[in-house]
Amino acid sequence: MTIETVFLMVFALGSLTGAVAMFFLRHPMRVALALIGTMVSLAAIYAQLGMHVIAVFQVLVYVGAVMVFMIYAIMLLDVRDRSFTERFSPLLVAGLAGLLLLLGVLIDGLLRGQPFPAVDVPPDAFSVSTFAIVFMEQFWVYFALTAVLLLVAEIAASAVIDIRRRGQDVAAVRAERGDDHG
Amino acid sequence: MMQDLVVHGVFIVYAVLMLMTVGLVLTWVERKQAAIMSDRIGANRAYLRIPFTQVKLIWWGLFHGLADGLKMLLKEDWRPNSYDRMAYAVAPWFAFVPVMAVFAVIPFGGELVPGTFFGWFEGTSEWFGDRSYAMQVAPLDAGLLIVFALGGIAVIGAMLAGWSSNNKFSLLGAVRAGSQMISYELVIGLTIVGLILIYGTVNLVSIVEQQSGVLFGFIPAWGIFLQPFAAILFLVAAQAENQRIPFDLPEAESELIAGYFTEYSAMKMGLFMFAEFIHIAIIAALFTTLFLGGYNLPYMTDAGFLLPGGFEIALPHVLVVLLQITVFWVKVFLMCGFLILVRWSLPRFRYDQLLSFAWRFLLPLALINLAITAVAVWAIQGIGA
Repeated sequence: MTIETVFLMVFALGSLTGAVAMFFLRHPMRVALALIGTMVSLAAIYAQLGMHVIAVFQVLVYVGAVMVFMIYAIMLLDVRDRSFTERFSPLLVAGLAGLLLLLGVLIDGLLRGQPFPAVDVPPDAFSVSTFAIVFMEQFWVYFALTAVLLLVAEIAASAVIDIRRRGQDVAAVRAERGDDHG
Repeated sequence: MMQDLVVHGVFIVYAVLMLMTVGLVLTWVERKQAAIMSDRIGANRAYLRIPFTQVKLIWWGLFHGLADGLKMLLKEDWRPNSYDRMAYAVAPWFAFVPVMAVFAVIPFGGELVPGTFFGWFEGTSEWFGDRSYAMQVAPLDAGLLIVFALGGIAVIGAMLAGWSSNNKFSLLGAVRAGSQMISYELVIGLTIVGLILIYGTVNLVSIVEQQSGVLFGFIPAWGIFLQPFAAILFLVAAQAENQRIPFDLPEAESELIAGYFTEYSAMKMGLFMFAEFIHIAIIAALFTTLFLGGYNLPYMTDAGFLLPGGFEIALPHVLVVLLQITVFWVKVFLMCGFLILVRWSLPRFRYDQLLSFAWRFLLPLALINLAITAVAVWAIQGIGA
């Protein structure tokens, strides 16, 4: 067993442990930390396989951007919420049934599946320049489209918040004046 | 294989030792420079006594950093009644490790040929053969992207620390740190994209090598001459990213005690402080690499000097390597001095001013700079074609 295989197994175990912990942990912050563990382990696996660009984007996008915003939001939740401390969710039975189904499908897939054929990858297939050229030639339209959709979603979300805030302000002014009945 | 392992092992140990030492020395520089700027003597009490003699080594108070470290190691590790002890324990590491890891992709020298460098050492040159190594812990072509990726993780440390401390001041500091670091990271990214357009790569070694050239026949092709505006924006945004005055709102002592690490003591608090000082060195190293020609002097290459007019001065490999390492650290220390100068010169912003400054002032400027650079690069490439 080479040292590369050992590292690969360690990170695969880390990624699986994080994923399983996400199912069983109750507190959103711990779930977020477990997810970060999974993401970083996956990035390490990509790096181990020589795909540094994919590894970097895994950390840059998922940990550096998505998870930072998730943690920012979780940080502002009410820590006294009972659902964080209760051992089991009311949806325990449904969750267990889903887990068993997923495990069944996974085991069935593993038993029936054929080993992956060896793929001949050129040595610079995942270098930054190759990746960038392929990305700009084939995927930039989808990327730009997604960016526009995200922007629309952000504007819509801020508009909804603004409308709600204005509604609350009007209600507060009315309550102050005491003309709620009118 | 074994040779690669030895060389990279030496690079890793060197990088960690240098960063720790620079971090320690910067704690002293910060005090001494502040003292000089306000016409005081500054740190001058801590000393080492030579055993069995009355000789005290004071050395301008240089041992204050060591005394600080010792104090933090020996203090009680007091823990608040936190509702999440795990998050509280891992937060300092989230702040410290990414800052250290960034240095892995920063080149601190050019090409090292151990066989030639240790040519005077019997057997070594034979063992290494003609292998050569870039003086960098991790020679990856995605260098600059890794800097951004690791920069993003450091935010999590501040937020986790503030949230898990069970203290309103800490939480406020964490909210401030999160908003501030996300805002200014965007500015840093946009200012550097202009440089990436010019150099056409994110590989930091390649960026430094391209800065060895000249502009108009005599001006060194340093990033600061190609992108002067981006250099200023980068420095401002990096100072904010490091949460230092005038952008130290997340840990403003007159408002939030110490912000997100108020509830930390002993070496855990030391890790936050140390991360901040090492971050200064990292910002300086990045600025040196991107804008000040990296480890090279003007007109310098891995072979020696190539002066304007075509004059070549060839230097022995040993001398080039030593010169490059020295030049890199001198530039880094000068930049650190400048960053500390800014820290002791300006008053603190108000928080709304801080965010407005990022989104309404720096971000549009960074976008304008990027747009102008893109058009200029496109026009120059068009003329070249």
